[in-house]
Amino acid sequence: MAAVVPDYELAELYTRAFRVGALGLGWQRLLGPPDLSLAAEAEKEEEEDAAVAAALGCAPGTAAELRAVCSIDMLMSCEKEEDPDVIPEDSSLLTLRIRKKTLERREETIIVDRACRQETLTYEMESHATGKRPDNPTDLIEEGELLLILNIFYPVIFQKHKDHKPYQTVLVLGSQKLTELRDSISCVSDLQIGGEFSSQPDQAPEHISKDLYKSAFFYFEGIFYNDKRYPECRDLSRTIIEWSESHDRGYENLQSVKMEDYSFNDLSLKIGFPYLYCHQGNCEHIIIITDIRLIHHDDCLDRNLYPLLVKKHWLCTRKCFVCKMYTARWVTNRDSLAPEDPCFFCDVCFRMLHYDAEGNKLGEFLAYPYVDPGIFN
Amino acid sequence: MSAVPGLKEDCEELLGAFQQADTVRFERFAELWRERRFHTIFYGRMRALERNKITKKTLDVAQQYFFPPYSFQIRVGALYLLYGLYNAQLCQPKQKIRIALKHWPEIQKFQLDLLDAQHYDAVYIFRRLRLARAFHFTAMPKLLTYRTKKKIEKNYFKEEFKDPSNRVNSLITNDVLEELMNIHDHYQKMKCVISADKSQPDKALSLIKDDFVVNLKDITLEHQEWQQNRMKLLRNAKVVPETEDKKKEETLLKSEGSERANALARIKYKSYSAVVEVSRSRRHRQVQLESSESGPSCGKSPGRSKKASRTPQPARRSEMQVTEETVTRHIGMPVIIEEDSEE
Repeated sequence: MAAVVPDYELAELYTRAFRVGALGLGWQRLLGPPDLSLAAEAEKEEEEDAAVAAALGCAPGTAAELRAVCSIDMLMSCEKEEDPDVIPEDSSLLTLRIRKKTLERREETIIVDRACRQETLTYEMESHATGKRPDNPTDLIEEGELLLILNIFYPVIFQKHKDHKPYQTVLVLGSQKLTELRDSISCVSDLQIGGEFSSQPDQAPEHISKDLYKSAFFYFEGIFYNDKRYPECRDLSRTIIEWSESHDRGYENLQSVKMEDYSFNDLSLKIGFPYLYCHQGNCEHIIIITDIRLIHHDDCLDRNLYPLLVKKHWLCTRKCFVCKMYTARWVTNRDSLAPEDPCFFCDVCFRMLHYDAEGNKLGEFLAYPYVDPGIFN
Repeated sequence: MSAVPGLKEDCEELLGAFQQADTVRFERFAELWRERRFHTIFYGRMRALERNKITKKTLDVAQQYFFPPYSFQIRVGALYLLYGLYNAQLCQPKQKIRIALKHWPEIQKFQLDLLDAQHYDAVYIFRRLRLARAFHFTAMPKLLTYRTKKKIEKNYFKEEFKDPSNRVNSLITNDVLEELMNIHDHYQKMKCVISADKSQPDKALSLIKDDFVVNLKDITLEHQEWQQNRMKLLRNAKVVPETEDKKKEETLLKSEGSERANALARIKYKSYSAVVEVSRSRRHRQVQLESSESGPSCGKSPGRSKKASRTPQPARRSEMQVTEETVTRHIGMPVIIEEDSEE
């Protein structure tokens, strides 16, 4: 695989397509062992002057001088303990003057300035796996591994999301197979239970859609990667390929291959360009690769934790119409006992309203198990 | 991502001061940094999430000045700035500096230039950053999220930080000149071979100027120096609106005499009061590109005597006429005497 240097195809928006693995090669060719090393941060050990002198081609005396002159202490405050929370009074920096005003305004308007639970969640997700190392050394990620950062968009379409569609951010390793990503994507449509259960509410089946409809595909750069691990899996992309081949629609050769045979390093991708993940036959998610970089010693180095979810959108759950407390688990249509159609109930309220003490159905209605998109919060 | 308000101004102010200092020594940079107490730029009560975001944006802003088309000095300043910001940040673990693959060759070349010029402090600092594993080695400089921004913020480059666009030099590089020299020699030799007198070519075969390669080199060198001086003057001077009287100007040539001329020019600038800085949108208009009239009224104009007796080496302009440089705010193009007038 030849090394490649990614560059913009459309400026500031997305790049040309390139082999992901080639990027890794490209970097490894240019860097040395200390750059790629994933060893834990060592304590501040100063380099030997001789080593510096050798590397720079200068005299050892110069090296010693450099160590003194270029020390970070030259830039730091030598005063006694400064409190970083306090902005100095007469700062010459415009940034600080503006920040101070903003903080003062915030203090006036906000009564309690504390992280709300969404912020805590976001921060925790972003940082919980940082620097984690596995107990088992075989699970340690290798040097030179590539890390891809993907945004996977929710298929939910609410009016309030029309400007900024909500998404999850997932980190995935270059050496991981596509199937690993597919398994890690949690979508509410996977949990749907099909069927009407007003007559037998206790027998809502165990099978969720994820188990029944196992087919899925990824679409990257003209190739459909279909999940073919199970005999029930069908090639969902066949329809599309047949459609594009039926007339000259201007699409290049669309191919269909097996998802489980490919890892991310094998793919040709554009960074910043929207691609597709489709499952359950018609549940479509847009995927955008926002970044690819070399793994760093401060990243999570436990292979088992990948694909790693680092950001997800908080969706408010729909609450039961009756108690307004619990998340809705049932939805009814054409319900004579309900004030609106459709109407959402939690499990307890649903049974209390629609069934008598013996469990007989009261009134006419259709009831379906409901899985709220916010279930993953 | 929205910008950190005031950050760009602060960085540019610091880099501008560093540029004025006309040095690439870290000591000087550290002085300027301490003067401004730049390490406090991350101060202010904020929770961890916001701190991470702001630090990332800060490093991103500083990182932009590290690459072309900014001038050498600004790039060294940006390197020092990154060193300072990386170490002054309050995030734990530290936010990293992103470097895209396409920028790495430029960085390598930059390193070599620094080593050649023996700017050991800059090389040392880059080395320290690298050993501290302060970099993320990425595919592209920014995260690409397919956000079609409503207002596309034009990435504007501060004019003074940019290297003067040296189109002449990029066309006539050292390689090109060397190649030309080789071809020229070869050509001369060929002419000798087919001539009657083997030691020198026939008169009938003399169709080009023999020393044109050397002249070409001199012309490019002169252009480059003129450009550098122009940049220096632009930077030192406060600009006056164009409506004021335009004085006649001559080209500023670098020679022993021009040092004094420079000083004279600077004094003249300072003596003008009530200076108004032209706004950025009009900056392109403030420098008048006037061709100085070459005539007797102009005095001695810089000429290039293309006599065969000239020694073909990068001549210091001693044989050239140095004119009195009454340089004013307007700087004109150097005059190139038409070749047809000679030979």
